Amino acid sequence: MEKIYQIITNTNLDFKDKRHLLCLEAENSLPYPNISQKAQTYLEEGTICDLFEGHAPYRPRYILPDYLKFIKQGSEYLNISPPKNLFEAINALLVIYKFVPSITGYPVYLGQIDDLLEPFLSTVSPREVENLLRLFLTNIDRTLPDAFVHINIGPSDSQVGRLILWLEKELKHSIPNLSLKYSPETPDDLALQAIETALVTGKPYFVNHQELANDLGKDYAIASCYNTLLIGGGSHTLVRLNLKQVAENSNDYDDFINHKLPEAISLLVEIINARAKFIVEKAKFFETSFLAKEGLIDLSKFTSMAGFFGLYEAVKLLTELNMGKDGEAEKYALEITSRARELLDSYTGLYCGGYCNKIGFHAQSGIDTDIEVTAGVRIKYGEEPLLYEQIILEGKLHPYFNAGISDIYTFDLTAKENPEGLLKIIKTAMKKGIRIFALTTTDSEFVRVTGYLVKKTDIEKYHRGELLREDTVKLGADSIRNNETLKRRVFGKS
Amino acid sequence: MHGEVINIQGLINRIIESSFIDGPGNRLVVFMQGCNLNCIYCHNPETQKECCLCGICAESCPAKALSIADNKIIYLKDLCQFCDRCLQVCPYYSSPKYFRMNTSELSNYILKHHEFLNGITFSGGECTLQTPFIIEVSQKVKSNSPLTVFLDTNGYVHQSDWELICNHVDGLMVDLKAFNSHTHQYITGADNSFILENIKYASGQGLLYEVRTVILKGINDTENEINQISNFIKELNNYTFFKLISFRPYGIKHPLKDTVYPDKNHFEKLFQIAKTVLGERVKKSLDISL
Repeated sequence: MEKIYQIITNTNLDFKDKRHLLCLEAENSLPYPNISQKAQTYLEEGTICDLFEGHAPYRPRYILPDYLKFIKQGSEYLNISPPKNLFEAINALLVIYKFVPSITGYPVYLGQIDDLLEPFLSTVSPREVENLLRLFLTNIDRTLPDAFVHINIGPSDSQVGRLILWLEKELKHSIPNLSLKYSPETPDDLALQAIETALVTGKPYFVNHQELANDLGKDYAIASCYNTLLIGGGSHTLVRLNLKQVAENSNDYDDFINHKLPEAISLLVEIINARAKFIVEKAKFFETSFLAKEGLIDLSKFTSMAGFFGLYEAVKLLTELNMGKDGEAEKYALEITSRARELLDSYTGLYCGGYCNKIGFHAQSGIDTDIEVTAGVRIKYGEEPLLYEQIILEGKLHPYFNAGISDIYTFDLTAKENPEGLLKIIKTAMKKGIRIFALTTTDSEFVRVTGYLVKKTDIEKYHRGELLREDTVKLGADSIRNNETLKRRVFGKS
Repeated sequence: MHGEVINIQGLINRIIESSFIDGPGNRLVVFMQGCNLNCIYCHNPETQKECCLCGICAESCPAKALSIADNKIIYLKDLCQFCDRCLQVCPYYSSPKYFRMNTSELSNYILKHHEFLNGITFSGGECTLQTPFIIEVSQKVKSNSPLTVFLDTNGYVHQSDWELICNHVDGLMVDLKAFNSHTHQYITGADNSFILENIKYASGQGLLYEVRTVILKGINDTENEINQISNFIKELNNYTFFKLISFRPYGIKHPLKDTVYPDKNHFEKLFQIAKTVLGERVKKSLDISL
């Protein structure tokens, strides 16, 4: 009760923050889903981390509704008819977004927006198109103040895609997050426009469409931070394993590979499956959600996600080799990653029909409390080699991760003079296997923290104690300090 | 001539694996050691001359990364703190850090990551002083990759050498320090008639990617000067860019070391004058446009 009182009387939180934390407290007053004592110990020691999802999950962590279906059929629950023009289409989307659950309470996927809106462009004048899209993006920024909220565009050319890029560059909002699915069919001038926008706003991500479509089929999307999931599906949960901590608990490399890693992954799977089972069988989410009843999501397209992080430190602890500097480290990085994937795939993921009953393999990009442990399978910030070598190494690791992986590359501001140069690097990175390429510049007003964006001015406001609309600014401010985000190597400096 | 020579050595000040401001796309830049002009504002004075082994830099290195042995300067990169003290104290416009590479070594180094690059650019110093080396590297790189080869040059080269090197490169960025010959003489110590002729030749070959002028307060920053350069370029062709670069007081050892930036408003005015003549072919350095 004391904790609830503290939340209610905390003047650093506003109403929506308090409501969110009170919900979590209520959930955490229940016992954790049924797991073994050993799994419980791994959670308590932090070797396994459930990202504070709560003790009694009552909705999936990530949900990717089939908005195209929604636009075609409308919704009985929402009393929305199939839209006939751009006004109605945008209104329909803004309505449904408020009803899409996630772990934060805000929808993490807002749709493949070019496919959704392009058919309606001829229903209004060009001036109205621009005004409507401007208001659409502004509404999202103000009413869904959470930087995990994510729009997708591409890989094909579209007027909507180009307008979104142009407006994002002008509006300079940190929300929504934005991904451009990129493939050889994406025109160079569209890619260059995306780069010019990214050089100002840090978005979009460049997503390797060919690689992901080969892995997941063409009906995939990017949600929240780098999560690659099926449209109409999602992920029940994301529980992550700290490879650094597993390495610390191992006697040597062989012990790690043959005993400690297998044991940790078996416990990781146990926790993940217990959480998915609770959502489906106890909370009966799919029996109570209108999204499921109206066919906008389908349990058979869902999975769960196992996140991995701290590979850099694990390799260093076990072999005294540095990824990115010592050539031999690559062999161990690949071997550990391959072994982890093989172990994960040896288990059945409960209610993971979207991923052939396997749990999705994800490189978890860190949280605000991570100290001295590197995100996912990235190279430690400040220790990166020459960018080309970094990309070649990471390009070998990325193909293992079917549920999301990325890195963030920082460029000198001179890149603004020459987006063609960046396009060359991105194209080659895609050929080398990089799945998601995020970029930023040294002078950007935005910081790409783990996967989401925050504005530097908002971080300053947070440090001054001001109450902010965006719930991700606090996470970002603490991450930047703890994860040493600003130490990333700068490229292209002459 | 070049088929017979197979592994010339070059003097290289440094290599940058990625630059977005030295020609089109993402380029690896090789800064060559040695220059034939003596510009009063030189931004890279340490690239001008070869080392004379005076030892002054070794004495002042706080990290003890420099020494002289066997008539050579020894530079231990692992000890270096990159404080640039050696460059500051060198009275001879040189550096203890430049090094020698033969054409095979350099071309192999370039080709290692060529997939990420649009091309390479030789800069300096004055790169054309090492024309045979550049030609051989260019041949090796071009026969093994689609990379283009550009030069960032002062154009102060004898006509026959200029024509020779133009046969082996894909583009040129030529510094034109001033159009007025007296002003040019004042800035560089040399007349600009050679340079203007070489620019015309390169233009005719379709190689003149960019003409660059560093704007120096009170020296070459008159409206007439910029107008003349702009019209000169306009009469040459319809493709060459003209880049106006703001003087920056970094690395300067010469009389201009205490000079302030050109006035931003005046720089913008010069930029607009050039634009009136050349339209979108005029560019400016980023620190001013921010």
